[in-house]
Amino acid sequence: MQQHDIQHYLERYFKANGCEIKRNEDGVIEVKLTVELDKLLMNRPFYWHYVEKTGKIAEPMTLTFLTKRKEKEQGEFIHFGSPRLHQIFQAAKKTAAFIRLYENMQGTETAYLPLVPWLMLNIKISYAADRKKDYIHSFGLQLITGQLHTNFMNRLEPLNLKPKLPDYSFPLTPLIHPKSGLNRIKKQIAALVESEGSQWAEEAKKRWNNDLQLLERFYENKEKTEAYQNEKIALKNQYEPKVNVEFINGGMLYLRSNIS
Amino acid sequence: MITIHFDEMWEQNFLKRVSNEGPWDSWEIAKLALEAERQLAIPSFNGLQAPNHLPNLAILPHQLETAKKVVEEMNGKAILADEVGLGKTIEAGLILKEYMIRGLVKKVLILVPASLVLQWVAELNEKFYIPAIAQKKAYMWEQCDVIVSSLDTAKRNPHKALIFKQDWDFIIIDEAHKLKNRKTKNYEFVQQLKKRFCLLLTATPIQNKLEEVFNLVSLLKPGYLGNIEEFHKQFNPKNRTEEDEKKLKLLIQQVMIRNRRVDTDLDWPTRHVENITISFSNEEQNLYEKIVSAKKNEWLSQHELSALTLQREMCSSREALFLTLKKLAEKETANKTSKQFALELIEDLQNLPEHAKAKKLVELIKQINSKVIVFTEYRATQLYLQWYLQQHGISSVPFRGGFKRSKKDWMTQLFKNQAQVLIATEAGGEGINLQFCQHVINYDLPWNPMKIEQRIGRIHRIGQEKDVYIYNFTINNTIEEHILALLYEKIELFESTIGQLDEILARLELKNIESYVNDIFLNSESEGEIKIKMDNLSELINFQRRLKEEKCTDAAT
Repeated sequence: MQQHDIQHYLERYFKANGCEIKRNEDGVIEVKLTVELDKLLMNRPFYWHYVEKTGKIAEPMTLTFLTKRKEKEQGEFIHFGSPRLHQIFQAAKKTAAFIRLYENMQGTETAYLPLVPWLMLNIKISYAADRKKDYIHSFGLQLITGQLHTNFMNRLEPLNLKPKLPDYSFPLTPLIHPKSGLNRIKKQIAALVESEGSQWAEEAKKRWNNDLQLLERFYENKEKTEAYQNEKIALKNQYEPKVNVEFINGGMLYLRSNIS
Repeated sequence: MITIHFDEMWEQNFLKRVSNEGPWDSWEIAKLALEAERQLAIPSFNGLQAPNHLPNLAILPHQLETAKKVVEEMNGKAILADEVGLGKTIEAGLILKEYMIRGLVKKVLILVPASLVLQWVAELNEKFYIPAIAQKKAYMWEQCDVIVSSLDTAKRNPHKALIFKQDWDFIIIDEAHKLKNRKTKNYEFVQQLKKRFCLLLTATPIQNKLEEVFNLVSLLKPGYLGNIEEFHKQFNPKNRTEEDEKKLKLLIQQVMIRNRRVDTDLDWPTRHVENITISFSNEEQNLYEKIVSAKKNEWLSQHELSALTLQREMCSSREALFLTLKKLAEKETANKTSKQFALELIEDLQNLPEHAKAKKLVELIKQINSKVIVFTEYRATQLYLQWYLQQHGISSVPFRGGFKRSKKDWMTQLFKNQAQVLIATEAGGEGINLQFCQHVINYDLPWNPMKIEQRIGRIHRIGQEKDVYIYNFTINNTIEEHILALLYEKIELFESTIGQLDEILARLELKNIESYVNDIFLNSESEGEIKIKMDNLSELINFQRRLKEEKCTDAAT
């Protein structure tokens, strides 16, 4: 993520949250937070408690972020490692996990058009032992035919999606229930994990086993003390291979277009 | 087959919203969230992510390499044993950051000397954006994710019990040489911790015996060097073969990283050493002679050590000598003659003018005309010099080992911003950085060469961009001149790299070199004998050094 990407990201994030952007120029962005965002990002519960108790008019903060170093500007410098940026990443994730959208199309006001239901799911698969690797996947399952697409987000890019059902449109009822839809996608994920192979896990187990053997040798003919037990647990925590699947976000989409 | 762990909370929440028709979130923010996740996803089991997150940190090549090696080859368990001043803290921070970014580590315990707690907290926060907190209240062990404390606090109840209750993902122990003896409480405590990822930091992995390395490694990876019986049998220095020695070295290299100054590609600033010989005034010389001749008197022989001390003090300041004499005069057990002697000397002292060295010091400081650190062995000298410099319009601040951390920082700050001179009685201890200064004056010389190394190490370290100047004051025809000419110059103490001597002395089991030198001076009949014995000592040290250098080149080829 380059500095100009960060500037763009911040701009989109604050706009999407309904903040007033007071200044947006090369390397500087100044925003007035909304009450919700102030509560989410600024960590000042006492202020909000006070405002609410006394009935005063709330004054959310105005912040200036810098994505370029400037001598004359006062503000918080933001780069890829900044705690502030990571806080915003986390906040975005926390507040946008579930969506429902309808596709809007131009020039179709005359006839009623059916919209096809899809289940969308964006996930992260983590392969973790003492080392770790992640994959991001985006799935789309058509809930009438059962057609499954990967890389679904990219396919949605050109579409005009809105949270409100457009006029002259009606959503079709899914034949596949979202719950079984989820199960189908989970099966697909399991297949993906399988195709990744188990070499990484075998290697981690080998490292685990090596350390375990050393430990046994160290305590050979000796009392198996608490330190021994702790060490054993620690080795398990360190090396045991695990696959975790996190659902980043997902939801129901009703689409007019054919997705291929 | 590995079971896959699915995020069930999301699933339940989602189905609830489907049946309740909402509420639904913003599409744009969902897109931003996915974008963030793509940025944060770890693309590979190998390599380092941390540098991307730390654009403001200047990471040196050897530090980067160390972090990579610990993560990729050592599975996150290592002894970091770089020589002083190469940035072990940076390496540890880098490794910790890497595991935190990868999401493998959340709960972190950092045990450091009490005086360094706040510094660690500051560095982790400022340089690494790791929200570390200094432990203050007992509840913090449970509630804070990254906690810094002293080992002394941690090993005592109620803390101990609370610490054992937690599952720590990552443990760092700084100054780990305090864990070399496995019969200590420190050792027992650390041994019982659940250590998943673990770093032990020390600049001196071997101080005396090989067994210490065994102990350290066994904390990190029990069984790695076998158990103690096997270890003794195989690697006993008395009967191990060269093969064994190679094997041991190889084993240790896989759990310990030791970067040395000579191996780094860094451009170390040049050291300029100047020995400045000063002559006593006639009065001073007479007094000194009086002390020397008194050494041969029987009544002082019970206080032999004091006689040597008196000589050294005389070379430093009247005030230093006065304090010792006063004690001797007031000592109840001292006999009449020695008391008489002490009183007589005190009388003489009072007639002495300014000390010859102090005079030279003012001259030199004025000539340097920039920041200077003056080291002395004696507190009395420190006070005297502060007063004396003030008389000559030179501003100075004192620095002592006994100062609290905050006072040390304050004095360092004062020195940096306001005073020209820092007068110190010790090297300042761990973590005090004085790189903004280039000049060190050894006003008197300690008899332990390690102390000299520590003194120089304060300014000759990473961050020093200019050449470093070292001035050694000695007085003509005194014991000081002996130690400089007979020992320090011969072993090239002032020119040698920091950290090297430490290992050599450890090899020679000469850790207590100070008393060894004392011994030479006390138990020699003549100047000639002193010279021969000192020659022997320096030859021994130089021989070890050559041996080591040969080994280094062997290993490199």
